[in-house]
Amino acid sequence: MHINEKFTPIRKGLLEFLVLKVVSADKVYVADILGQLSGTEFATQEGTLYPLLSKMRREELVDYEWKESDAGPPRKYYELTAKGREQLRETSDYWQKIIETVKSLGQKPQQLGKEPAP
Amino acid sequence: MNKVIIINLNGNAYQLEENGYEALRAYLDSAGRRLEANPDKDEIIADIEQAIADKFRAMLGPNKTVVAAKEVEAVIAEMGPVQDASDTTQAEGRAAPAPGVPEAPQPAAAPRRLFKIRDGAMIGGVCNGLAAYLDIDVTIVRVLFAILAFTYGAGVLLYILMMLILPSANTTADKTAAYGAPPTAQEFIRRAKAGYYEGMKTFGDRQARREWKRKFKQEMRGWKRDFQREVHQGAHQFHHFWSQNWHPPAGAWIAISVLTFLCVIITLLGIASVISLLATGAVFGIHLVGIPTWAGVIILIIGFQMLTWPVRAMRHGFYYGGGPVYAGPFVHLWNSLFWLALVVLALWYANHHSTEVHEALRQIRPELHRAFDSVRQWLDKQ
Repeated sequence: MHINEKFTPIRKGLLEFLVLKVVSADKVYVADILGQLSGTEFATQEGTLYPLLSKMRREELVDYEWKESDAGPPRKYYELTAKGREQLRETSDYWQKIIETVKSLGQKPQQLGKEPAP
Repeated sequence: MNKVIIINLNGNAYQLEENGYEALRAYLDSAGRRLEANPDKDEIIADIEQAIADKFRAMLGPNKTVVAAKEVEAVIAEMGPVQDASDTTQAEGRAAPAPGVPEAPQPAAAPRRLFKIRDGAMIGGVCNGLAAYLDIDVTIVRVLFAILAFTYGAGVLLYILMMLILPSANTTADKTAAYGAPPTAQEFIRRAKAGYYEGMKTFGDRQARREWKRKFKQEMRGWKRDFQREVHQGAHQFHHFWSQNWHPPAGAWIAISVLTFLCVIITLLGIASVISLLATGAVFGIHLVGIPTWAGVIILIIGFQMLTWPVRAMRHGFYYGGGPVYAGPFVHLWNSLFWLALVVLALWYANHHSTEVHEALRQIRPELHRAFDSVRQWLDKQ
């Protein structure tokens, strides 16, 4: 519970990265994205996702097209732009670096643990 | 038993219990406030309304047509509070703005200055600049100028004076000062939409809308009556003075033929311009930005009426005899000449200072040919 709260800003900041990942796999509409995130720690809601997607479209990371749906009105299907793919690649690399940093930081004393204790 | 309210969500009607309606309205209002600075506010709101509509539709069926208040609240909880993604500074791919630098435009914070604004201008950008300065729609300013032009050309005179006096907003900084806000297209669109929604809010119920329409029509009828009376009185006095007080000079017939020729040319130009507007959506190659075609036609007709009026009046004066005993006719003649001179001056100025007008004047001849050709073809068909 405590950890969950502490990581709230980090989850929020990572959401754009995760949306990029979800959209990169396939053309999706908002309910797909929500569904894929729903089981995870990053479960989110329309109220957050629509403004985020609109911002990403403004930054030309994603684009959408209208598609007819079997039930109800046409839906917006999102896909990555070239710029979005580039950003996803950069962010993935950066994320990898963060993970390695997190891993290596705690282990440093153990690796150098041969120094004799005073 | 609960009262039911019918709402329109992105083009579909839904029936909600009254409490549910209140909750939904509060939710959408707060979403609108949070997205106030977002350039895509309207699109996001439409998306959210669509998502809510989808959820309502899933709940309803042939035996259930009303969304209960509790269900509305469940849907709102499912949607979650609307958070403006543009405000989160931790988003990737973007340098975090320096603290204390507000991203949202601050309306009315910057002092405004009066400029001519050439972007989207019809003549010299005076109306544009005034509209920006007063923060009202440019069409209103243009209509006001057109009405002023009727009162002995005051509008034309004022326009030319302002065109000569006002500095041009050429740099971005000037334009910012003219509008008192960043001159981005998105900002303008946002403002326009905000104004539109504000206006719609006041016509919430049908009764108020009908009342407003009735008043508007009444007012328009009143104006029309007054205007017609004025025109009739003016014309009557005019004829009276000229017929009593002025003898035509020896060369009157030359003057009459010249004036008639002028009148005919102007009228033909007017007809050609209306035809070109209807055929190509532009008057001799000038696109009327932000004005619907029907309004353009009305403006053209009024404009050419104004142009021909002094010529016709002068011609009339030559028909009716009388001596220059009374100063009245001369005042009127002088007035007409002055008016004509103003129009010529305006045309000359526009020709020299606006490449668009210059091009348009150069294009008049082929356009005229084309207009005549289309008329001839139409006649051949008959």
